Amino acid sequence: MGKIIKLATILMIFCVISAGGLAYVYLFTKPKIEKNAKVAYENSVKEVLPSDASGQVVLVSPRGYSGPIEMMIGIDKKGKVTGVKVLNHRETPGLGANIVKPSFLNQFIGKSLKDTIEPKKDIDAITGATISSRAVCSGVREALNKVKK
Amino acid sequence: MNLWKDFNAGLIKENPVLRLMIGLCPTLAVSNNATNALGMSVAVAFVLIGSNWVIALIRKVTPDEIRIPIFIIIISTFVTICDYIMQAFYPTLYAALGVFVPLIVVNCIILGRAEAFAYKNPVLNSILDGIGMSLGFALALVSIGVIREILGAGSVFGIALFNPTVAATIMILPPGAFITIGFLMAALNKMEKKVL
Repeated sequence: MGKIIKLATILMIFCVISAGGLAYVYLFTKPKIEKNAKVAYENSVKEVLPSDASGQVVLVSPRGYSGPIEMMIGIDKKGKVTGVKVLNHRETPGLGANIVKPSFLNQFIGKSLKDTIEPKKDIDAITGATISSRAVCSGVREALNKVKK
Repeated sequence: MNLWKDFNAGLIKENPVLRLMIGLCPTLAVSNNATNALGMSVAVAFVLIGSNWVIALIRKVTPDEIRIPIFIIIISTFVTICDYIMQAFYPTLYAALGVFVPLIVVNCIILGRAEAFAYKNPVLNSILDGIGMSLGFALALVSIGVIREILGAGSVFGIALFNPTVAATIMILPPGAFITIGFLMAALNKMEKKVL
C-alpha cells in the first residue's frame, strides 16, 4: 500500500512539473501564435480581394478527396470572383495537392454565377485529380451562391 | 573514446531508420519532399536530445515500475513545447509539418532511446546518443526525401530540376516511400559487408 502511494506521488510530481512548464511556454507563445494567425488571414484576404476592388471574402470548405478543402474566395460587388486561395487541404501529394497552384486557381478569376464552373467544361481539371478539381469548383459555386443571398 | 562511440553509433552502424528500423511511421509520412524531411528531423532532434537529457538526469530518482509513464510525460512535454514554438516562430514550417508534430510522441525512436540508452547512461553520453541518433534519423529522412522529391516531383528543396510531368508521381505517394527505404537499406547492407 505504502509503495503505491509513493509511486503515485512521484508520478504526480512529474506531472505537476510538466504542466507548469507547459503553462509557461503556452503563455509565452500564445500572443505570437495569435498574431501569426491574424497576419496569415489578412495576407490571404489581400491575395483574393485586391485592395482596389471592393467586395467580400467568403470562406467555404467543400469535401475533397480526403477531407475538407478550406478555401477563401474573394467576390467583388458585381458578383465576379476576384481570387481563390486554398488555405488548408489533405489532398494526395503530387495529384490533388496541385489544386493550390495558381495555374489552376487563376482560372476562376472573373467567373460569376452565369458561368457553369465545372471541370472539363469551362475549367481545366488537374490530371489525375478529378474529385479534387470538382470539389474546388463546387466550393467556388457555393461561395457565389452565398454572396447572392 | 566511449563518448565518441555513443555519438557515432546512430549515424550508420545503428541508424534508427535504416538499421534499427524504428520510427518508420513518420519517415513514411513526411519524406515526400526534402523540406518536410529536414523540418521533421529538426523537430525530432529537439525532442530526442531534450528527452534523453532529462531522462538521464532523473534516472536515479525514477522508480523502475513507473518509468514508462514518466518517459511519456517527459516526451510529450517536449513535443508540446516544440509544437508551440514552431507555431509561434516558424509558421510556414508549421503549416507543412503541423499535422506530424504531435506524432513525434509516438515516434518509437524517442521512447526506444529513453528505454535502451538514456535510462542506463550518464547525462553527457545520453545527450551525445541523442545527437547521434537525431543525425542518423536526419540523414536517412533527408536522403529519402531528396530521392523521392527528385524522382516524384522533379525538384529538390522546392527548386525545380526538370518538368514535373515526366516525374514518377508514385514516388511521392506512399509506395514510393517503401521502395526508397528498401533500396537504401539494401545499399547500406551492401556497403557494410564490403567494409567488414
